[in-house]
Amino acid sequence: MRPFKKWFLIIASILLITIMSACGSDDGSDGGSNQSATGDSNTITIRVQSLSPETTRVENIALAAEKLNEELKAEGEDIQIQVETDMYDGSSDDYAKQFMLAHQAKKEPDIYTTGHENIGWLADGNYILPLNELKDSEAYKDTFPLIWDAVTYKGEIWGAPQDMESRPVYYNKNLLRELGWTDEEIESLPEKVVNGEFTLDDMTRVAEEAVNKGIVENGIIHRPVEGTDFHAHIFNFGGTVYDSEQNKIVFDKPAVEKTLQYFDEITEKGLTPKDITQMEWSNIHRTVVNGKTLFYYGGLWNVFNWADDPYHDELGKVDEEWVHENFGMMLIPASEKGGKPNTLSHPFVYTVSSNTEHFDYIVRLLEIVADPEIQANHDVKTAHLPVTQSAAEHPDIKNNMTLGKATYMLDYTTFVPNHKDFSAFSKAIFSAIQAVELDQKTVEEAMNDLETQLQNDLGDELIIKE
Amino acid sequence: MRSSWKKWRLPVIMLGPFLILVVIFYFIPVILTAILAFTGMDSSMRWEFIELNNFRKLLADPNIGLILKNTVTYVLFTLVINVFFGFILALLTTYFIRWERTSLFFRTIWMLPRITPPVVYALLWIWFFDPSEYGLLNSIRSLFGLPPVSYLTTQPMLIIILANGLIGASFGMIIFSSAIKSIPRDLFYAADVDGAGHLSVIKDIIFPHIRWPFMFVTIWQLLSLLTSYEYILLITDGGPVNATEVLALYSYHKAFQNFEYGYGSAISLIIVIIAFFISLLLWKVFGMGKMIRPTRIE
Repeated sequence: MRPFKKWFLIIASILLITIMSACGSDDGSDGGSNQSATGDSNTITIRVQSLSPETTRVENIALAAEKLNEELKAEGEDIQIQVETDMYDGSSDDYAKQFMLAHQAKKEPDIYTTGHENIGWLADGNYILPLNELKDSEAYKDTFPLIWDAVTYKGEIWGAPQDMESRPVYYNKNLLRELGWTDEEIESLPEKVVNGEFTLDDMTRVAEEAVNKGIVENGIIHRPVEGTDFHAHIFNFGGTVYDSEQNKIVFDKPAVEKTLQYFDEITEKGLTPKDITQMEWSNIHRTVVNGKTLFYYGGLWNVFNWADDPYHDELGKVDEEWVHENFGMMLIPASEKGGKPNTLSHPFVYTVSSNTEHFDYIVRLLEIVADPEIQANHDVKTAHLPVTQSAAEHPDIKNNMTLGKATYMLDYTTFVPNHKDFSAFSKAIFSAIQAVELDQKTVEEAMNDLETQLQNDLGDELIIKE
Repeated sequence: MRSSWKKWRLPVIMLGPFLILVVIFYFIPVILTAILAFTGMDSSMRWEFIELNNFRKLLADPNIGLILKNTVTYVLFTLVINVFFGFILALLTTYFIRWERTSLFFRTIWMLPRITPPVVYALLWIWFFDPSEYGLLNSIRSLFGLPPVSYLTTQPMLIIILANGLIGASFGMIIFSSAIKSIPRDLFYAADVDGAGHLSVIKDIIFPHIRWPFMFVTIWQLLSLLTSYEYILLITDGGPVNATEVLALYSYHKAFQNFEYGYGSAISLIIVIIAFFISLLLWKVFGMGKMIRPTRIE
């Protein structure tokens, strides 16, 4: 038996050493990564990745590369840029996870397109490089100033703003007409919201009237899954979610409580289905497009979604013109008379991997991609707003039915913070809203549980505001 | 030395590849999980050892009581369906339906969910129970003028148990079917001659013969259920408000949704420990040692 033990030990040790050395051998080496290697030494391959369905985010980088190649030729440089594009199909959590793992294996894209709120963990984990030079760059000189806040973290710029949007409240014009509103009243609603004449309570009241009169099944519909929209309400009730000086998440109890009370109220009054968070996205779209709700907390890009998939029972896909004929868009009404309404933007940004070997060329690409013509390509096709003033002036955007009506909303926009733990905070808030809507908890119980949960999940990263 | 190498050469060569696989895919992950459980690894992927903080956090977690309760409910009830329904299916397709072709046809039908990709299988459940009027169940109800219902909200655990139970039953069905088929036919003939009823045949002939497969399926399914979460993830994602969140899914959510890899590993480690003790306990209760003892008939 003894010789066997000895042999067993020797073989087991060799196995372990082989495995461990295989695991550790990746450091420092190229690892068969994304850099050049197309056979032609003068061609540099830059990989760019984005999240489905908006392919224009990566196509725009390819367009920028064409321009850069012309510039390089004119400068007499014997180098050409080739762009490899990749679209990820899946949830945003999975999209983040695959980048994290690809980066560890040094197989990540050079340019990673993502929502701005991911900058916190990307920067803290040394996944991406700062892009401070962009702020002084000619290409971004007329960027809407507010957007820089969305890409700034710990005093540095970490991403090139790619697009903006607003999250308007859609209202169904036909249903308001049935309720006895005149065309003039219907068309002037967005303005009344801007002036603070039509408040959130008014919106609830009108929805209640429509439901009680049997004109429509649902008064107000919101997204069925977790997302940034819900934080717009915290801001609307005068709250905050982030302390930038201390870089900590803020649990603003009075504002969060009012937010929970609001969602409790609209479900208790039968304006929103209690089980809305169990519905599938496609059924939310169907409910809206088929006129089964008066108000819908949506996103500007929904116009693109409704044209892309056949949600209407009879018409199937509906175009932009149809949408504007049947729906109006307004800001989220202020919570108090005379108050400021708001909306929320969730800008997408181009970030640059810390492993890239082509930083200088990428910066040039990111400058070219801000060209109004290229921005307009994405914005018009996918119903997003541009990031620079000059792009906003571009005829394609200015004359666009949807974008033209929504650009003013940028003056009222808010952002969620870039803190690395914001995702955990956001999920906890959503879970509390869901519990209140489903009658599983009272607002008070939900608040108590939320506080315990956040303290446990975020620890020192949390400030509680009483 | 040489002679002992000669003696063990073949076993080493034969077992080598298997050993490598076991080490890479079973041993190392458990060790890594155990080490990770003591780190605060988050999205930055840095190894920062934080002693027992993850376990303290787990004890203070306001959801942990509910999650443990859910885990017990989910595992026990699904297990009952898996084992007993699997047994009933096996009985039906081997004992009651004597025509091989017919029984094969029914067994194949029950295998269908297993060969369907999980995402598709889960989507069918979601579409069926979608609470909006566009859900399949609600569309059918509307034909009779009935209002929409939302079982995914009111009975989420029941749906999860049914979805997992029905898919898992096919495993027991296959094992039990082959066990029943291996019972010598003479016993059934003898029982027939003696005028034994179906119940008596099942109780006195079939059950004693499939005792070992029965225990194996129970232990195997119990351990699988303790660590499985894919259908829960796809159908309810643990919701609404943690109503179907089980320990394994919680570990996944913490690790891959909140990117708290350290905390997620700590939860996994707890699952490994629970699974280990349950295995030991069942080993004793079922007297499994007896089953793997060398035969006394030479």
